[in-house]
Formats: sequence, C-alpha cells, structure tokens
Amino acid sequence: MTAVVEVAGLTKRYGAHMAVDNVGFSVAEGEIFGILGVNGAGKTTTVECLQGLRRPDSGRMRVLGVDPRTAGAELRARVGSQLQASALPDRLRVEEAVRLFGDGDRRSAERLLESWDLARLRRSSFASLSGGQRQRLFIALALLNQPQVVFFDELTQGLDPLARSGVWDAIRDVREQGATVVLVTHFMDEAEALCDRVAVMRAGRVVDSGTPAELIARHARATTVTFTPPVWLDPSSLRRLPGVDRLERHDESIRVIGTNQLIAPVCAAVLGDDQLGPSDLRVHHPTLEDALVALISEPDTEPRPGDAASRTLLGVS
Amino acid sequence: MRSLLRLATMELKLFLREPIVLTFVFAFPVLTVLVLGGVFDDDDPNFEGVLPSDYYVAAYIAVVIAAIGLVMLPVHLASYRERGVLRRFDVSRYPRWALPAAWILVAMVITIVAVTVLLVTGQLVYGLPRPDDVLGVAAGTLLGAFTFVSIGIVLGLALPSARSAQGLGMLLFFPFFLLGGAGPPPDAMGDSMKSISNAVPLTHVVRSVQEPWLDLGSPTDHLAVLAGLAVVATAGWVTLASRATT
Repeated sequence: MTAVVEVAGLTKRYGAHMAVDNVGFSVAEGEIFGILGVNGAGKTTTVECLQGLRRPDSGRMRVLGVDPRTAGAELRARVGSQLQASALPDRLRVEEAVRLFGDGDRRSAERLLESWDLARLRRSSFASLSGGQRQRLFIALALLNQPQVVFFDELTQGLDPLARSGVWDAIRDVREQGATVVLVTHFMDEAEALCDRVAVMRAGRVVDSGTPAELIARHARATTVTFTPPVWLDPSSLRRLPGVDRLERHDESIRVIGTNQLIAPVCAAVLGDDQLGPSDLRVHHPTLEDALVALISEPDTEPRPGDAASRTLLGVS
Repeated sequence: MRSLLRLATMELKLFLREPIVLTFVFAFPVLTVLVLGGVFDDDDPNFEGVLPSDYYVAAYIAVVIAAIGLVMLPVHLASYRERGVLRRFDVSRYPRWALPAAWILVAMVITIVAVTVLLVTGQLVYGLPRPDDVLGVAAGTLLGAFTFVSIGIVLGLALPSARSAQGLGMLLFFPFFLLGGAGPPPDAMGDSMKSISNAVPLTHVVRSVQEPWLDLGSPTDHLAVLAGLAVVATAGWVTLASRATT
C-alpha cells in the first residue's frame, strides 16, 4: 500500500522546550491513523506541521507525496483539516461558510449540510452556534471538496455521547469513500473504535505504535475477574484454571488475573448448585486506555530495552 | 482573482452586519471637522495665507485614512488571528495573500465612502473651497489611503491580539493626528516640532491632498514618500502572510 503521509525525524523546538522530538510514522492509503497522548505530548504540533501551519526545525514530511512546507496551496486543495482551536468571523452564517470554503459544488455542499444536521441552521451566524454545532460545522468544512487526506484534531470535543457515535460512523464513511484519515485524540475509546493503527506520543516522542490490539497486548494490564467468593469456594483452587496467572485479595473480594482464557473457567467455577453466581462479579478486559496509561506513566522518557522491537516498527508500515 | 473578489464581498458584508465597528472611522473624523473648522480666526496668519477651515479640509481626509489604517484594520485583523479565524483560512484552499488582499480592497471602499460622508458634512457645515486640481486631490487621497491600509495590514498581521492592536494603534494614531496636520498648523510650531511633524507619515498624506486642493505647490515629494512607504508595507505584509500564522 502507498504511504499517504510520511514523517521521519520531525523536530520542533520552542526555546528550550522540545515540542516534537524526532517523530516518525507513516500512514497508508485508506487508513484511519490515530495520534494519541496526553495534553502537551506534541500531537497537535506534529499535525500542524503536516498541515503547513507550522514550520518544523528539521525532519522529512510528505503528504500525498509532496512537502507541506513548499507545496502549501496545492496541498490544501486536496487535504481537509479540522483544527483544535479555530473560529470563523462572528457574523458569518453557516451556509456562507460552506460556500466560502467550498469549491462551488452546491450539491455536495448541500449534502454535507444535511448529513451534519446543519441545514436547519443555515441562516445562523457563527457566533450564535453552540459548541457542538460549531464542531459539526468544522467537521463539515474539513470534508468539503472531497479531500484525499483529512486531519482531525480532537474530533469530538464538545459533542454529547450520541453525537459522538454519529461522528464515528461518519468518519468510517469518509474512509469507505477512499480518504485517508489522521486523527489526533486523547479519547482512547474513540481511538479504539475508529483507528486501524495508532502512534502514542509522550513528551514530544512517539513511544510506541501499532494496531490498538498490538498496543493492548504489549502494554495493557491483564484480563481480570473480580467477585466476592461464595463461602463454599476454596479460592486457591482457581489458580489451577487455564489462563490464570495469580490471585489478589481485596478485603471481601478476590481478583483473578491472567489472560482472556480465564473468563469462562472462572465463571463456571464460581457457579453454585442453584445456578447463581456472585452478584458482584465483574470482568475487565484490557483496553487501549490501560495500554496508554501504562505507556505514559513509565518513569523515564528514554526508550526501555524491551521497547526496542516495537520502536523499529516506527516509520515503516 | 475570483477568490479575491469572493473574500472581499464576504468581508464587506460582515462589516455591514456589524456597523458599530465603523463608528470610529465615521464619527471621529466628522467630529474633527466640526471642531477644527471652528477654532481659528479667519485671519490667523499661520495657514500659508488660506482660510483655516479650508486649510483643515485635507486634514479631515487624513484623519479618516489614519483611523482606518492605524486602528480599524489592525484591530480587525489581530482579532482574526487571536480568535483562530486566520488559522481556519490557512488550511483552506485560499492562497495566503488572498485574505489580506481582500481587506485592502474592502478598506479602500470604506475609505472612499467615509471620505465622501466627511466632505458632504464639511460642505454642509462650513462650505468647502473648490479644489484647484481635482485629479491631484484624488491621487493624493487614494495613494495616502493605500499606503495606510497597507501599513494597517502589516500591523494587523504582526500583532498578536486585538487589545495590543488597539493599544499600539491609538499610540500611533494620536501623535500622527496631532503632528500630521490635523493639529496646530506647521507655521505655528517651533523648528524641532516642525521637523518631527515632517517625519510623521500622515503629514505626507495631508500635504499630498492639501497642495493640489489649495494650489500651495507641487506635492511630488510627498507622493514619493507615500509610494515608498506603500512599497515597504506591501513587502512587509506579503512576507508576514506567507509565514504560517500559528
């Protein structure tokens, strides 16, 4: 597959602060690629370099085969961008904004207004829109003119849960239509739901990248089943079940820790003759969030030897 | 070119929707007309032999030009930057020079309308002298406006916030206003004040309009200074605009 976005050795410094430090990754055509990390990790700066909004100090960048530093205007016609912090003139109306930034194709502009639930707001000024409405307008503007690559920076910020899942569906549609999507987010559920591959940034560096499943397997805590054991159960017998690594006791309750495989046997083992199990039984699957928390809370910023294998994957997809 | 006109039309429309922005540009110069036209005696000897109210006509025009270039435009553009509007345009298909160029068009239109309003007011209240050289007056007005609009674009793109633009704009506007010909006449100033006055760019706008209007001499030198400033300011904003705005 062709790489649509390629970054290598990207560095951006503000005074003594390294905002982006030797970052590299590549995004294949048709992929939804996530850039994850806590606030201040350098995600937005990285994407702003790719959008041509910032000039990096050094590094190689290619978007659709050209360098955003030199091919700005040509690239902007083929790239859609939703920015984390931007605005429109207060008195500009929704339909005027779509016309202003569109390429004159009225039918596709109209379709976008409909599909983002903006049609009824067409005469509303930007100043009068709510946060969620503004966000939908910015997403719609990013998708105008059939972009080949779309950058979203905090896609669902300010949206309610229902609107969020609607946006997720729409992003999947965008990919179905052939566009490549780069998504900056600190919502791990969003990344897990949408992204084919992700890169995790911390203090300006990419600390690991891969599919969400790979990152979970490498960094997340194990699967756990937690419950209050029935009086007739000898908890130590659970140790022998497949997939179980160890047990932890927390006051009244017990936590069985291991791989996914342990779930069914443990549940079977706690089932009494009355076919009822403990009412407080909870199963926790490792999530991307667990992986991210593990990744960003590692004590030093230098790569650990154990991460060497995954690091070599960076920049090569 | 089409995108330039599209942006200019939009900006003009947005201006008309928020007329409060224009009060400084329209009301302040009119107030100046009413005050300056009335304070000096008709036989005051400091006005190069012309009537004080005639002498100040050019200054009214210059006040409009300075208010647009030093205050209105910088505040408007800097607020666009501060609020993230420029960023939104930076990732759009419009070339980076298009929005500043559109503002130049819009500001020139606003200048022409404001100057017209002002001259009509002056005519109704005091009666204006007949211009000696109408084309020369028009040339001086348009070049002066273009120079100050270009300076305004530079300030607007260079300053980080609307508040800083307001502060610096006012800081430039009042000395320009007082020393540039809308204040006491140069003949009433001491030598050092006179040389400071000559260094103020607005002086050249006033003289470029005044000399052809009242037949006080050839304004070529002043027009040349304005043209030079316009070239420098244009180079300045083109450089600033091509830079990424974040």
